[in-house]
Amino acid sequence: MAKESFDKEIQFLRMLMLTSGAYNRVQFAERLGISVHTFDKTTRRLKEIAAASASPSVNTKDQELPLAVRYNYYESADPLLLFLFRTKSLKESESVRITHILEALNGQALTVMELIDACSSKMPEDMPLPDEKTIRSDLKYLESVGVIHKKNASRPYQYQLQDELLRSLSDEELIDLYDFVDVMSNTQVPSVQGYLLRDSLKKHLLRLFDEASSTEAFLYKYHYHSRILDEAHLYTLLEAIRHRRRVRFRYFTPKAEKTYTAQSTNPRFEREDEGKWHKSLPLKIVYDHQYGRWYMLSSDREGIRKFRMEGMTHLEEAESIPETDFQLKTAALEEKLQTSWLIDTGTPVTVRARFFSPEPPEPDFIKQRVLLQGQWGEIVEEDEQSFIYEITVNGIMEIKPWLRSFGSSCEVLAPSHLRRDMIEEWKEIQDYYESI
Amino acid sequence: MNLFEKIFNYQILSRLEESGTLTITSQERAWLKTMLGQPAAKHAFTEETLQKLQLVLQDESGMDIHKYVMEKAKSRENQVYHPLLRPLHRCIIEEKGMLVSYSTRNGRVHEEHEGYPYKLEYSMVKREWYLLWFHIKHRCKMSTKLSSITAVSELPLPLSIKEVDRIKHHVAILQAVRKTTVRVKVVRQYNRELSRILYAFSCFEKEVSYDEEMDIYEVTIHVAGDEVEYLLSKIRFLGKRVQITEGAYLKKRMLETSKKALERYSEEINLE
Repeated sequence: MAKESFDKEIQFLRMLMLTSGAYNRVQFAERLGISVHTFDKTTRRLKEIAAASASPSVNTKDQELPLAVRYNYYESADPLLLFLFRTKSLKESESVRITHILEALNGQALTVMELIDACSSKMPEDMPLPDEKTIRSDLKYLESVGVIHKKNASRPYQYQLQDELLRSLSDEELIDLYDFVDVMSNTQVPSVQGYLLRDSLKKHLLRLFDEASSTEAFLYKYHYHSRILDEAHLYTLLEAIRHRRRVRFRYFTPKAEKTYTAQSTNPRFEREDEGKWHKSLPLKIVYDHQYGRWYMLSSDREGIRKFRMEGMTHLEEAESIPETDFQLKTAALEEKLQTSWLIDTGTPVTVRARFFSPEPPEPDFIKQRVLLQGQWGEIVEEDEQSFIYEITVNGIMEIKPWLRSFGSSCEVLAPSHLRRDMIEEWKEIQDYYESI
Repeated sequence: MNLFEKIFNYQILSRLEESGTLTITSQERAWLKTMLGQPAAKHAFTEETLQKLQLVLQDESGMDIHKYVMEKAKSRENQVYHPLLRPLHRCIIEEKGMLVSYSTRNGRVHEEHEGYPYKLEYSMVKREWYLLWFHIKHRCKMSTKLSSITAVSELPLPLSIKEVDRIKHHVAILQAVRKTTVRVKVVRQYNRELSRILYAFSCFEKEVSYDEEMDIYEVTIHVAGDEVEYLLSKIRFLGKRVQITEGAYLKKRMLETSKKALERYSEEINLE
């Protein structure tokens, strides 16, 4: 069987999350580069998975998919898009069999023969009875993902669930563990494994305490929900970096109308807007907190190349390169990244800006924010009304929106072209609103 | 490591749920082990629990992703965990009232106010925890930084079930009332930057509409009253790419901001 790709689902969910409700079926399908039929099929499938994966406290069954993934802050801190990682397709008989194995091992250790008996007696009549070879390969799989382990060192092996984590803790301690997992998966990267663990712990706690209040006390403000979709590519890329391998992928620039297209069987029909094939050596992954987006920074014949992970599809590993090349390229990139606000590796420039403090008795929230978000920049001068912030940064493009977000509390002093840019932009913004 | 494992499949998940069987994979344990290595872990557990966890996870390998992943434009991380999180969470679970002493933004100190805590909220922007609570005497919603709370204790007389229900009802009404709706248009010539613009607004509760004939996108954003300032800073962040089409207060603020900003640069403008 060909390796299952989840590109379509990832692009589908991202578009749904970002454009919530903007497109009708035809427009949506067109932008995804799929047929309306495929669109409908994907919608149905994802809706089914979303409903089956939702926590008992959230009822998504009767909702339309866009509504189900609509961000409603006050209800829950459940990660809305986590169900993407539950979409791996599985034969009905396989999912029934694996479930029976795990259920049989819940609370006891069993040998292969005992497991065959346990499964056979429980298999529905219309499904084939599992043979020894199949059960052994299931066990091998479950052991490889760390869900079960062997209890004894000699044959016949007894298998048991690897759930010490749950069993060794008291109820009180489990609440602490849930809280910790909740906080860390919400505030740190990467998140997906944490969210999966949170999901399991939540179910466990709901069973123990029979009420939702124990798990729904925390909220997280201003979250970028779609950030976990990019983690789908993260481990493939990390694996490639560890092995110093290039990767091959089809890239859709975020500025293009289309964000995905099914693999064309005839390359002659591929058009430019249907994504371009690239091969590049990944060196670093960058997570941008400003927008909640992930980037792959890599190297190819043209030098340093940057790709937004959301635009990468059909990703696969290619050939490896010598260690020394990798080290040289990484070192060069790291040096450049030291002064990049996000990922700009252009020429460094010193930006100076005067920030104006609010009039007392207002606390100085401007200064607090500059200290919080100003990265490695420094306050070089200060009086009662204002202070001067200085930073050496690669290019002005990436820092400009941040400076502008302070409104009239920030005056750019240098470089002069950034100062001129700001004046022009404020003039245009004034024009937008002057007529009202 | 693969995030699309068979074991995460939704059919297996819902079948196992029925029988109460829980599975934890080595990737999840590796993630947990990595996170336990962070300073926040010390505040999240008692020493005994932390030792237990470390013992259970001793044979797992952690993740090495921090060698290859860089985070950019991150706010300075003041606190991931706060010592008050544990006791306050217990207070919320048990639906208990509290006596809370705290100081406000301008330094005023309030001693032993009666309150009902209902949520703990973390701001990803300020990287700080807040307690959301109901002020029993003033009958209003409060949001107080955990770092501003000087003391907290249980109410000497516990709240009755009836009183708790009344407070919950009140909070729900207050939350619904305090939402403001703002509409923002993507200026057409910047449609190519749509993705970036929508990302910037994706942390709000919002809907997007698209007028195919005019090729115009509009984002309708719903925010609570105390979040308007943050929304405003996002709109200024995007600059001329977006224009507020509905929301008189924010429009007025944008006009004031642009006028005042241009005054700061007036010397230069006069020279032109």
